[in-house]
Amino acid sequence: MQVQENCTYMTSGAVMPFCKGCGHSNILKKLNEALGELKLDPKDVCLVTDIGCIGLTDALFDKVHTVHTTHGRSTGFATGIAVADKVLAEKRLKTIVLIGDGGSMIGLLHIVNAALMNVDLTVIVANNFLFGMTGGQQSSLTPEHFITQTTPFGNMNPSLDICGIAEASKAGFIARAVASDKDLSGLMAKAIQHSGFSIVEILELCTEHATKRNDLKGSMLAKMAEAEGHKLGILRNDVERREFSVKYAADVQSHLKEMKPPRFIEPIEGHKLKMPVGFIISGSAGERVQSSAGMLCQAALRCGLEVTQKNDNPVTQGSGFSLSEVIISPEEINYTGVSEADFVVVVSETGMKELKAQDIYQRISDKTVFIVDESIELDEVSSKVIKLPLRKMCGGDKASLGALDYVIRNYSLFDHEIFIKLLEKKFGEYSKIFRGEYYLDLV
Amino acid sequence: MQSLRKKVALRSGNQMTAEGAIQAGCKFFAGYPITPASGIYKGMIDMLPLNGGIAISSPDEISALTYCVGASMRGFKAMTATSGPGWALMIETLQYALITETPVVIAVVQRLGPSTGGATQGGQGDIMITEFATSGGYTIPVLYPTNAKECFELTLKAFDWSEKYRTPVVLLTDKEIGMTTESVNYAGLYELSSAERKNIRNSDADIKKWKMYGFDSPDMITKFANVGGEVKVTATGSAHNAMGYLKKNDKETIATLLHLEEKILAHKDEMVEVKKELQDGADTLVISFGITARTLKDAVKLAREGGRKVSSLIIYSMFPIPEREIILSCDNCTRIVVAEENISGQYRKLIEPLFAGKEVVGVNKIGSMITTMEIAERIV
Ligand code: SF4
Ligand SMILES: [Mg+2]
Repeated sequence: MQVQENCTYMTSGAVMPFCKGCGHSNILKKLNEALGELKLDPKDVCLVTDIGCIGLTDALFDKVHTVHTTHGRSTGFATGIAVADKVLAEKRLKTIVLIGDGGSMIGLLHIVNAALMNVDLTVIVANNFLFGMTGGQQSSLTPEHFITQTTPFGNMNPSLDICGIAEASKAGFIARAVASDKDLSGLMAKAIQHSGFSIVEILELCTEHATKRNDLKGSMLAKMAEAEGHKLGILRNDVERREFSVKYAADVQSHLKEMKPPRFIEPIEGHKLKMPVGFIISGSAGERVQSSAGMLCQAALRCGLEVTQKNDNPVTQGSGFSLSEVIISPEEINYTGVSEADFVVVVSETGMKELKAQDIYQRISDKTVFIVDESIELDEVSSKVIKLPLRKMCGGDKASLGALDYVIRNYSLFDHEIFIKLLEKKFGEYSKIFRGEYYLDLV
Repeated sequence: MQSLRKKVALRSGNQMTAEGAIQAGCKFFAGYPITPASGIYKGMIDMLPLNGGIAISSPDEISALTYCVGASMRGFKAMTATSGPGWALMIETLQYALITETPVVIAVVQRLGPSTGGATQGGQGDIMITEFATSGGYTIPVLYPTNAKECFELTLKAFDWSEKYRTPVVLLTDKEIGMTTESVNYAGLYELSSAERKNIRNSDADIKKWKMYGFDSPDMITKFANVGGEVKVTATGSAHNAMGYLKKNDKETIATLLHLEEKILAHKDEMVEVKKELQDGADTLVISFGITARTLKDAVKLAREGGRKVSSLIIYSMFPIPEREIILSCDNCTRIVVAEENISGQYRKLIEPLFAGKEVVGVNKIGSMITTMEIAERIV
């Protein structure tokens, strides 16, 4: 047990909760010194600790903000804190993650992503090559041949080079040190001072589990790392890369003018419907089926109707069928499916196949009107069937639009002019959107 | 009437959730793509910067929620959105938000499960995993809208509860509500607001007494200390005393854990959101929520047109369960019908004990929406 005296950021007279000789004690002492060297206001420092012995740190630092988190996730929480501080608040905070070797692997993607984002935080990996708190089990940072509780005959895997991962993740400041290094506090101070993501891996001893099973002394740590191909010292110090909030200001906040607030429609009295009208519109992906249905809805909405548009497609959005069920109604619409269609629009064979799979013949009545492309084979039905050369006249990508325009034009559901206006806004002059024959009396 | 209709728009539930969050003062969003919830993510990316906030992408759902909790700890209202598979990953962090009493809103847009299930199919099967996701069985407040407009309203309510009671709140929706676009009348929406966070300051009269997780009555919600603020934060996901220090099983620590539940139960009566339509002489009560509640309305109308007397209850505040409202609604009924799009009647099983001596019937189904006829058939 060691007692720390004259601490600025630590609890004065704090008793280290770690085993005798544990590297954590020294790392924390040096961290305290590093904060002192930087003369940081304690209220501008947040220690985010992970799970494991290193996670006991929060009770030792009673002057600074401490957030003790879940296993491996510390860097994730720290990212949220740091991004919010830098983008939304006063940009004062120094956010420091304390994580063990085990935590650094379970939470690896949080470290990688924080580095890619270049968030202003420092990750200190206290690497004692095993899970200390739970009994000395092998971690992903355990060196090859190292003996742990769960690798009694030596670790079969090489150890992960966490600094190498940080390098590949474009981290700006990367260093590897040994806990007993004379200038450890100076190194930590450099990392904390770095604007953007920094990581310091500190090699240390778990005196409870590592040194009892392996012939290991503190003086051997540097050699051991080198044997694994892991270099020591400051491995990168790139001050050119812009910290996240700086990049965010340049790349996103400078585009605010291009962002559009939600748009609204002012309805007119443009319909005489007394009952809801249900559409089932089916075709192939990539042929504007759902967007055409959307235009039908926009126009109906403008004419003062309630609308719902329920879309369906396979999980891949660009292939297979594309289907919309639309209801337009003078009253509130509850059930959003079309159980008995007034209009069924089918513009491709793929669309027909899907409709059959969805029991289309159970969802029609004598009053149903089919508007289908001439190429489509329908079963014998008692409904009215209108076959049109939609694909020829309108093209595949406007076949459903042509069919819907046909319905609105001929069945006076609502003001056709409104639909025309919408079409013209998107495709130019109405009379030129489809081929000439389309505009002749189609039936 | 005409003036009320002035502002209408075609919107999906997901878009309205995003707009509602912005109206609530949400300033931080982290997202990870998943059908059918991606629309909320996209809505926030497109709109949040314009409203003084930031929306970012995360490399997975675990990151998304940890980012949000971190941002909330720094002092900003935060939200993420996901669906079943992503929700499963977020549960560790949900519990962290719960125990650290950090406000955060999670929109869970349900799809067909289990596992990857059906990305483009709806479902109402995440009720249990949402409510009983915590070790210990703490109440996670859950709100469930039935249409796009209510997505806006209840997202505000979710933020409101989250800040007032310092708790994670789930806005539960489903693919049909989230992705279906529909006409939305904006009348009244921009007049809505949600509670602001109560922060502790050094100049506060109660600063001497204040503790990170302190309380002196079951209903007390202690003031929040922002990381980086003037009052030191000691937050932890481990069982802790009122000061926020890890402790094992002492009285104060157990009391602090119990308070997480107590504080919600103490405010339960303020957390009731239901719509009752009781009919005199009705012997049947039909209960539903979310997308199926819309079908319920059609089914009840159909049954009444056929001369049946039937009452209905739509539940928006799924949790805490609005027990009193449920009991009052079924007063003279002998038959209770609960309709939900999952196989086992998840909510029905939870509320069944409230109907002692009555017949309780489920309408259940997976793969597609429950139809009007499927409910109407059970109103015999
Ligand atoms: S178990 Fe190992 S890591 Fe944990 S305190 Fe003891 S020596 Fe340190
Ligand atoms: Mg370790």
